Amino acid sequence: MRVIQREENQAKPTRILYGANLSHDRLVKYLDELKALGVIQESGNDEKVYSLTQKGIEFLNNFRKVEAFAGAFGFKI
Amino acid sequence: MEFVAFAIAMAVAFQAVKGYRLARERTLLYLNFSFLLLGAGLLVDGLANLIVLLSKFHRNFLFLSRIGYTIDFLAQLVAYGILVVVYLQQTRAWNSQLAAAALPVVLLENNPLTELVLIFLLVYISGQSAINYNVSKTTNSLLVFGAFTSLVVAHVFFLLFTIAPIFFPFAHISQLFGFLLLLGMLFKVNQTQ
Repeated sequence: MRVIQREENQAKPTRILYGANLSHDRLVKYLDELKALGVIQESGNDEKVYSLTQKGIEFLNNFRKVEAFAGAFGFKI
Repeated sequence: MEFVAFAIAMAVAFQAVKGYRLARERTLLYLNFSFLLLGAGLLVDGLANLIVLLSKFHRNFLFLSRIGYTIDFLAQLVAYGILVVVYLQQTRAWNSQLAAAALPVVLLENNPLTELVLIFLLVYISGQSAINYNVSKTTNSLLVFGAFTSLVVAHVFFLLFTIAPIFFPFAHISQLFGFLLLLGMLFKVNQTQ
């Protein structure tokens, strides 16, 4: 999700693959899960492009807060 | 002052449980338990201090203040103990063969031994938060380090209070300052984009 946001909310699968350091099978699995959760959406006919939904943006913002809070105490998420 | 610190402890506990619901990280749940206990202890301590005031008018209330202090001490002991355990687990220094010491519950008064136990736990926690600040160099980690250091100072003053009553206000001010630093950290975290 962070990779998608870094790519100005329009990321191709290859970008996500390298940015998140995933294998192809895992990438497909995680993308399907994220789509099912409604935090990302797929667009494009010939070339798929993924972007964050509003729900995904909110989740990412909240997760950043959780990371900052846990990090303040020295705990890693 | 205890009631303000209680409110802040509850806010930290709430933030921790919010984080746990989102990230399902156990450390956040333990953080939640720890600050819930701290808050409960502070609430009891605040009420106990009110009782001490009332005891000036009725002798029977003195017994209740000892119960209040005992509960507060036990709550803090467990709360800081949880944090120590979590830090130990994080550094992988955890020894699973812990001997559970069953301590008889006796009613305690504010005494040097109880304060020394809490100081010992808090110094360890402060040390861990200092290491964290040294590594991360974030304002949030500095605020947490400052908070736990203030709590160490507060308990040193509580220790000195057993010798001389003049240290009582310094202890409470230092404790409140520590919790205000935690409140500052919460504000900063909630501004994170």
